[in-house]
Amino acid sequence: MNRVLSPQGYVPAVILLVLVVLPHLMPNPFYVHILVMMAIFVVLGQAWNLIGGYGGQLSLGHAAFFGTGAYVSTLLVNAHGISPWLTMWLGGIVALFLSLPVGIICFRLQGPYFAIATIGLAEALRLLVLHFREITNGAQGLTVPFKGNAPWLLQFDSKFPYYYIALVMAVATVLITRRMERSRLGHYLVAIGQNQDAAEALGIDSSRAKAKALALSAFITGVAGVFYAQYTYVIHPDGVFGLGLSVQIALVAIVGGVGTILGPAIGAVIMECFIQSTQIIFAGQYPGLELMVYGGLLVAVILWRPRGVFPWFARLYGWIVDHLPSPGAAQA
Amino acid sequence: MNESVLLEVEGLAKRFGGVQAVVGLSFYVRTGEILGVIGPNGSGKTTTFNLITGFYPPDRGLVRFAGEEITGLRPYGVCSRGICRTFQIAKPFRELTVFRNVLMGTLLRHPNPAAASARAEEVLRLVGLEGRAHTLAGSLTTIDQRRLEVARALGTEPRLLLLDETMAGLTPTEVEEAIRLIARLRDQGLTVVVVEHVMRAVMSLSDRVVVLDQGMKIAEGKPKEISSDPRVIQAYLGAEYRHA
Amino acid sequence: MDLTTILQGLLTGILMAGIYALVAIGLTLIFGVVRIVNFAQGEFVMMGMYATYWLWKLWGIDPYLSLLITMPLLFCFGVLIQQFLFRPILHAPDLAQIFMTVGLSVILMNAALFFFTADFRTVKTAYSEWTLRLAGVALPMPRLFAFLGALLLAGLLTLFLSKTDLGKALRAVAQDREVSMLLGINPDRMYLLAVGLGAAVSGAAGGLIVPFFYVFPTVGVIFVLIAFVVVILGTLGSIEGAMLAALIVGVAESLGILFAGADLGLVVVFAILVATLVFKPSGLRGQA
Repeated sequence: MNRVLSPQGYVPAVILLVLVVLPHLMPNPFYVHILVMMAIFVVLGQAWNLIGGYGGQLSLGHAAFFGTGAYVSTLLVNAHGISPWLTMWLGGIVALFLSLPVGIICFRLQGPYFAIATIGLAEALRLLVLHFREITNGAQGLTVPFKGNAPWLLQFDSKFPYYYIALVMAVATVLITRRMERSRLGHYLVAIGQNQDAAEALGIDSSRAKAKALALSAFITGVAGVFYAQYTYVIHPDGVFGLGLSVQIALVAIVGGVGTILGPAIGAVIMECFIQSTQIIFAGQYPGLELMVYGGLLVAVILWRPRGVFPWFARLYGWIVDHLPSPGAAQA
Repeated sequence: MNESVLLEVEGLAKRFGGVQAVVGLSFYVRTGEILGVIGPNGSGKTTTFNLITGFYPPDRGLVRFAGEEITGLRPYGVCSRGICRTFQIAKPFRELTVFRNVLMGTLLRHPNPAAASARAEEVLRLVGLEGRAHTLAGSLTTIDQRRLEVARALGTEPRLLLLDETMAGLTPTEVEEAIRLIARLRDQGLTVVVVEHVMRAVMSLSDRVVVLDQGMKIAEGKPKEISSDPRVIQAYLGAEYRHA
Repeated sequence: MDLTTILQGLLTGILMAGIYALVAIGLTLIFGVVRIVNFAQGEFVMMGMYATYWLWKLWGIDPYLSLLITMPLLFCFGVLIQQFLFRPILHAPDLAQIFMTVGLSVILMNAALFFFTADFRTVKTAYSEWTLRLAGVALPMPRLFAFLGALLLAGLLTLFLSKTDLGKALRAVAQDREVSMLLGINPDRMYLLAVGLGAAVSGAAGGLIVPFFYVFPTVGVIFVLIAFVVVILGTLGSIEGAMLAALIVGVAESLGILFAGADLGLVVVFAILVATLVFKPSGLRGQA
């Protein structure tokens, strides 16, 4: 009982409560949209973190998994009317299988190969999707047929249900990260990151461990892609397979804090606020200026805070928890 | 060879660029014994460990462990079959605690982190590091770092332990402690191969000794025989005479 | 598909390979000496292209002549990049290095977008349309000039590296930093030189292709992706390897475009990457 009543227990519960109530406090649907996008990036950043942070393998092509999920699902939904609730899993699994050869080929090598291979993968998929336009509709993209309010087809006429689904996904991803960190795989990934030779001498198959992290990461990213397709109704190759998206996903995790449970979640919130404010400030008038600022942000983070903002956040959170009333203090 | 042979190395050879590090090396290790491996610097001792444990594939030759051929297996495969090694230059997981370092070893046989933790505590007590369980590995003293190397390896519950110059740079008292620890491990059923330069330690610990020079085995036998073998003496003093 | 078309494809591939080689040489030089994987290398090409374009547009300077201006300019830029951006992260973990250069790439690409807009630009010179015809195969002179220019620059660089003291010092640092310090070589200066040269050489590649290639802000992305494949195939850090690999990749891309379609050339290049990583990750000049 003490655990629940202590700040460690109730602060996360309060935060969760706030998150649940939050969309209803928003003045108009546009802000709810921002919340949905934040939640999606939490999922994407946390998923990237599994292989990029814990696994130490930097992917610059996670859009490959995102786009795969989006396209697999949308093609099936359009062709056979299958419910996205089902194709979500399929999209994730296809993305997972896509990640396996990449892992097998790259993880036995030491060097920048994985980063380069992932860029290549995303770009190749983008070009292939553009090329086979009879199937994929090429550059025009695919649309999800609008069916109004159809929950079994993952379509709603208000933004709120989308937000709650995204919120569930985001919380689930955070919990999955925590579970993984405490599992044998989580420990092994840390050992590999510290000293791969020593880890191997202790019986750790480093390639296999990284491949598992990548598979999980790809699966989650693919599922997010399916959700995104359903939420926005339209997907284009340049958007869902683009290098820009891959960089953004990685940036979320880096700014927040790689290799931590909540870093990417914080990074997603910061990034989305950042994106929205720069859009307000520049009002789309100066093409390129916004992204120049992101690039500058990335360089600045690398130079001055390579561990991301998570250490600050952790300290702030610790301070708050320490200064909140707890059952022990009341009795003192 | 009889059933009491745990490890067999036959005709091992390895070349690095222009250097033949190991040539036609053959020896065996009996279950439950402590085998000492000595030789001047550059004689191929660490390379031999690397070949046995899969860090490099041999150019020729084979390695047999408990009757099974393990030549060319990757290090994690060798470890899971029961051979674990320490490194000459210690490779601790510097940013992790001593406890977590050992945990990485015990997780091999105990995938459940809770069970692995319990085992890790036992291992720490065995080597005398339980007081430092929460110290960061990177800030340990030399002797404790060596203890940690051994502890981590022990965590994997090996049948054969390969110790690479564990006693280098230790004080005489610390060497005594190390000797006692290794002897205790052997008494508990572990087979140990010890590569060392500290002659006193090797000679008092080992049941048998193998001597390497320039990648070849030049002598093999009981410590007493080895220390009076003229070929061995010449190998160690050899450099002087070779340039004369 | 007749023989002439295939020969045409081969020729185009070989000519373009010269340019890919220059970009890849810049990349591999920087990696070999400074050990940084520069994802912004394509932006050096892009900057060379824009510099050449503006020199032509504003002052009518011939693109090949303007190399004399653009190369030193890009050399200085490279030096600045090394001094202020790369130096702090020389010993940082891979994540820092990769994302520093990615960040730099994003900044440069979007700076170009911001200042010059997304418009595609071209340069038209007296010789833009010159074409030689040999046995039914067309040999556009700008492409030939670009190839020859690339060959010349690569040759000069190779001579510099093998015959001059400075060049040998550079190679020494690439081989073994510590030993070269013992020999009295200042690695920091060599890093500046390496990045300066790497930028200048790739920038020159940009300048050479302006007569027949559109100039736009994101043009660098294609070049850096191809350059990575070339560098890996040719072995990281090897300049001769990069030249040989560029030939293979250039011809493969060209034939790929011929047989599979214009938009799949890059896919063929990635197939080469996969094959290299599977069969010989250390590259053509690497020890397995």
